[in-house]
Amino acid sequence: MATNEPKYDVLWPLSRKAVKRTAAATRLPDLNDKVVAELWDVIFRGETIYPLVREYIKKRFPRVKFVPYNEFGNFHGAREHEVSATIPDKLKAFKADAAIVGIGA
Amino acid sequence: MVERLGIPTASIIGSGFLKQAEVITKGVGVPLAIGVYPGAPMVDSEAELKRKVEEELAPGILRGLTGDAPPDLNTEVEPAPGAVVMSGTYDEVQEHFYKQLWTDGLPIVPPTRSRIDAFLKFTDRNETDVIRVLPQEGREGSILSIAITGVMAGCRPEYMPVLIAIIEAMSDPKYRIEDSGSTPGWEPVVIVNGPIIKELDFNYGQGMMRVGRQANTSIGRFVRMYLRNICGFRIPPGAGDKGSIGQSFLVAMAEDEDSARAFGWPSYGEDRGFKQRENIVTVHSVVAITSPMYSGGDDAKTHVQQWAEVIAGSFTYWAHTGFKTGLWSPLIVAGPSIAGVIAKEWTKAQVRQYLYEHMKVTAERATHYARMTSTPTFSFENLVRDGILPPDYTASKDPERLVNIVIDPEMVEILVAGDPGRNQSRAYMSNHVQGPPTSRKIELPKKWKDLLGAKK
Repeated sequence: MATNEPKYDVLWPLSRKAVKRTAAATRLPDLNDKVVAELWDVIFRGETIYPLVREYIKKRFPRVKFVPYNEFGNFHGAREHEVSATIPDKLKAFKADAAIVGIGA
Repeated sequence: MVERLGIPTASIIGSGFLKQAEVITKGVGVPLAIGVYPGAPMVDSEAELKRKVEEELAPGILRGLTGDAPPDLNTEVEPAPGAVVMSGTYDEVQEHFYKQLWTDGLPIVPPTRSRIDAFLKFTDRNETDVIRVLPQEGREGSILSIAITGVMAGCRPEYMPVLIAIIEAMSDPKYRIEDSGSTPGWEPVVIVNGPIIKELDFNYGQGMMRVGRQANTSIGRFVRMYLRNICGFRIPPGAGDKGSIGQSFLVAMAEDEDSARAFGWPSYGEDRGFKQRENIVTVHSVVAITSPMYSGGDDAKTHVQQWAEVIAGSFTYWAHTGFKTGLWSPLIVAGPSIAGVIAKEWTKAQVRQYLYEHMKVTAERATHYARMTSTPTFSFENLVRDGILPPDYTASKDPERLVNIVIDPEMVEILVAGDPGRNQSRAYMSNHVQGPPTSRKIELPKKWKDLLGAKK
């Protein structure tokens, strides 16, 4: 049925995404002799979870080395920006090959 | 961030946060490998937690580090800014926008080019100017996006300078707009100071926090809609906003500057470091609100003592989040009649000092609350050691020792507003470092007076 209602030409209400896309880093099929860094935001029982994850991975890759989360500090909260800024240099200093980051829950 | 350094990374994510993780992954443009923790770790027994880690989380982490690289999720092609996305009747527009998750659930004003242009007249900036690329979807916080959202939220074109200042304030990295979807479900409130309060007809008197006055109401709605559409904080069936229960938009506040000035207190804008008669917006997170605080008497102490009791009673539980981060700012909306009594005897600094000294919690209770919320490792000793809290928080080892709820008297904020005919105040608690009070001067267009005159 024809209608006399006006039509509205409406604009897209969002804005352009300006995302710099980064390809995923190459994975490491063998973690033996590799260094895995732990980054933790000091919430949600990470003090229990990280050791369990560590143990699980060590059972499968006995020569893996871990850099515990306390070496990096809390990357969330009071010192978030300052701590985050130090992480790249620390990863380099520890010669980290891989990283575990948490906990989002 | 770590993946961007060329280091394979796996993240630990709770199963209830996977959609949010996807939104963030797209927004930062970095593929994310995930190990999933099923459910909520804070409520599982030790045995259950161990089982979930060994059977589900740890295998996922290992796959993330050693298996196939995670996929790039940024595959959608979107319209160009300013493009017409549809032509339809009022009802068709409403339906389309609702289905696309572009509304807040209420009807919007259709954002047509002519309506948007009317908003753009009230700024000297170009519509393509970008204030900042905003978390969490990585979209441009452009002048055009502000105008479009202002139209949709039911603002008047002359509110545009206020809207721009709001987005400038929320774009300040210290404001941490990226945390707008955190589980406490905090909501920003906008506070307006300066002559623009009267020019735009803000309500700063009785009923100031009710919907009903267009400036207060539509600007509050604008903030929530901007967070939803441009930043990507959407509740289901969308994603990105993880407010567990949440709250809805707060109408904008404005100060009763005439009253504050009459009894010799600086305005809230001046407290924030600006000059009298400068037009200012401040954006401030609100995670909790006190009950109405009624106080009587004609001496300052009686009123402020009442505030201390009510604020401490309402906010003590959440103060641990301020302790963890070294910052939280209770905002007191002081009824003009009460503020007038207090101001006869005390400065704002004296009020802050009194509240600082008289709102306390035992160290044991604060530690308990922190451990219940998210942080089993909470300790005042660690926070003092790390310089987040001052040393007096560990002056003794007695768990029953009383510690100050407010970390620094300067963190207490006072705004004069509300019903001059009643003896009521109210306080609003910020969510620690998420959305701390952040102010910006409102930049008016060169022809502001002419433009405003033409509107009237």
